[in-house]
Amino acid sequence: MPPISPRLSRLLSDLGPQRVRLGNDGRSDLAPPCLPTGACLPTGVGAVDHLLRGGFPCGQLCEVTGPISSGRTSLGLSLLARTTQGGECVAIVDCANSFDPRSARAAGVALERVLWIRPPLERKRHQTLRCVERLLETDGFPLVLLDLARISGTAQTHGNRVVPPPAPSASSWLRLARLAAGTGTALVVLSHERMTGSHAYLALEMQSARACFDRDEGNDNAPALLEHLETRAVLVRHRAAPTGAIASLRLGARAA
Amino acid sequence: MNTGRIACLLVPDLPLCAALRADPGLADRPDLEFVVTSGTEGRSQVVAVSPAAAHLGLQVGCSLAHARAVCRSLRVVLASPELERSARQALLDVALSLSPRAVLMQARSGDFAAEAAALADASGVAALFGSEQRFASALGARAETVGLAARVAIASTRSTAHLAARALTHQSQASHTIAVLDCSDETCFLAPLAIDLLDPPDDLAQALTHLGVYHVRDLLRLPRQQLLHRFGPSALELVRRASGNDAEEPLPAPARTGFEESIALEFAIDQLEQLLFALRGALSRLIERLTLRGMALDALEIELLLEGGGRDVRRVAGAAPTRDIRVWLRLVTLALESRPPPAPIEGIAVRTRGCPERSDQLDLFGPSGPDPRALEHTLAALEAWCGTQAVGAPAIANDHRPGAYALQPFALAKARRAEAPPQAAHALVVRALRPPVAAQVRVRGAHPVHLRSAVSSGEILHTAGPWRSTGHWWSQEERYAFDHYDIQTSDGSVLRLCFDWMHDCWFVDAVYD
Repeated sequence: MPPISPRLSRLLSDLGPQRVRLGNDGRSDLAPPCLPTGACLPTGVGAVDHLLRGGFPCGQLCEVTGPISSGRTSLGLSLLARTTQGGECVAIVDCANSFDPRSARAAGVALERVLWIRPPLERKRHQTLRCVERLLETDGFPLVLLDLARISGTAQTHGNRVVPPPAPSASSWLRLARLAAGTGTALVVLSHERMTGSHAYLALEMQSARACFDRDEGNDNAPALLEHLETRAVLVRHRAAPTGAIASLRLGARAA
Repeated sequence: MNTGRIACLLVPDLPLCAALRADPGLADRPDLEFVVTSGTEGRSQVVAVSPAAAHLGLQVGCSLAHARAVCRSLRVVLASPELERSARQALLDVALSLSPRAVLMQARSGDFAAEAAALADASGVAALFGSEQRFASALGARAETVGLAARVAIASTRSTAHLAARALTHQSQASHTIAVLDCSDETCFLAPLAIDLLDPPDDLAQALTHLGVYHVRDLLRLPRQQLLHRFGPSALELVRRASGNDAEEPLPAPARTGFEESIALEFAIDQLEQLLFALRGALSRLIERLTLRGMALDALEIELLLEGGGRDVRRVAGAAPTRDIRVWLRLVTLALESRPPPAPIEGIAVRTRGCPERSDQLDLFGPSGPDPRALEHTLAALEAWCGTQAVGAPAIANDHRPGAYALQPFALAKARRAEAPPQAAHALVVRALRPPVAAQVRVRGAHPVHLRSAVSSGEILHTAGPWRSTGHWWSQEERYAFDHYDIQTSDGSVLRLCFDWMHDCWFVDAVYD
């Protein structure tokens, strides 16, 4: 690497080592700030909020992944509930058409403040990205939830043709991340596997542990009920914090 | 003493302006020689000439054959009553955009058949615009934005303002397009004008010319009583108009009528792209007029005139009022693709009633949320891309059927007033499977013990249920009876399994996630 000039050295020390990354040719390459400059959106789940240092950061692309029955949707809707309870309007781009209003209402989501978009089956990837971009460009939605999670093994059919779920490209994620940063909107992606790569500010992986079916104590004749789902949230990516931290959650079923 | 002021917007050459509005390519080429004719035969009459064609000596009223003989590269445009009607309405929209009261003058015949005029109330405009001159300039400029080259005159009465605007047209200095007459100047202004500008009946005009009466001042010198006895009431009415003393009704308040733009195609088209190209022009003119009136487009009626005389009328509605032409073109494209016209199309008409632009009262203490206008455009665009039933606010349906839901229009005002339910901490929610996934279930006793489906397969480790739900027993088609189970399979999936009693089948309709 060529030697750094004294003027550049002074500039680097003023900015701090975390904000500037030098390229291979010695020229400074301004990296995105390591710490979010805006507020966070808490999920209402204490363990997760603690793990994320307050919640999902505004103006950043974040990802929540996991298999089915891992609690990713419950976490997403908990975030929706907490945000709408603050009087904010939110948007959800529901690619799988799996949003359940009754369940969301029971979780505390103010449905009137939710803009629910279901992109059409054909040309879904193209329309999905257009919808998300349009929402990010419309200033005033602090949270956009992009639900790309699919149920393993299911396929959406269009006529006799099986339509695979959409998989946006890396350049698309970069564009969405920049749009989110421009308007301060938190773009949270729900998916079954990592999709956003290095463009996500943080990524949570949900791991299902145990479902608890229980019956009333002392009454063997009482029917068993689904009491709760025990799951874990693992921080697999974070730009400003060490990864690997785990939060244990217990998601109750009485609301569903 | 009449203290009111009237502005007259006058377009002297309506067929020409209507043709230029419909085909902006003509307006972009000022050197193009073209004429507007009543037909395509050689004996057809020329009703309007472009400036370049007029420079060659072509005049209104000559035959098409003569015009073609004068200019071999002449382009011929057929006169369109639909376009002229739309241009006339656009003139009224211009007047109403700057004045609370305006009215279109009746179409004339004879020498002034190509003229279109609108009268607008100009009382008190000096307080808003600084002077009547500026008001007149604003009117003229606004008319230019919709493709109408208008003359503007302001006077105390309708007839005087109209005469003054006509006089501007016939003056040798074509650069003067505005005339503002003080009450004291009107008589002096009108005196030297030719009587022909008053558009008298032919017999009266002939008689006056025979008597050597050519100008207004000569007419006003004639004794009224003798004029009445010799030429009848029409002469007296002419004198009143010439002196600016004719009885005038107050300008009416504008009636709430719709907006329409129509176009007759030169040849029948059966290609969607060509149709959309023609529709785009009509839509853009319609939106221009709505913009003048401060209105937005919430629903559109499209009438297609089919070859053979049929009509195809369809209605297109948007999620929210918007003036974004791309959104409406997308909606119209979807409507035409879903149900193509049954025959080639010879004419198009687009209509709307328009709606006032929305304004929402923001909350001083709550979050501001999205800008209402930006949100309207976003909703309209989302609906254009995803369909009318795919964008909105979710709602609980008034139905006990499991999985029932409703979709309501997303309204910002309603969102702000909504009361949020208490948040259930750590709630476990479901992901609905739409449509439900078929399953094969082995039952032992009264409980499912093995599941095979596209969602999950394996032994059922835990079961909760069943919970029976029935309803719509009064309807043969809609009655239902379900037994729901919460299950966990050996692969860890926690599902909602359902047995349909009506169809005797199992399916998975939700996943706990």
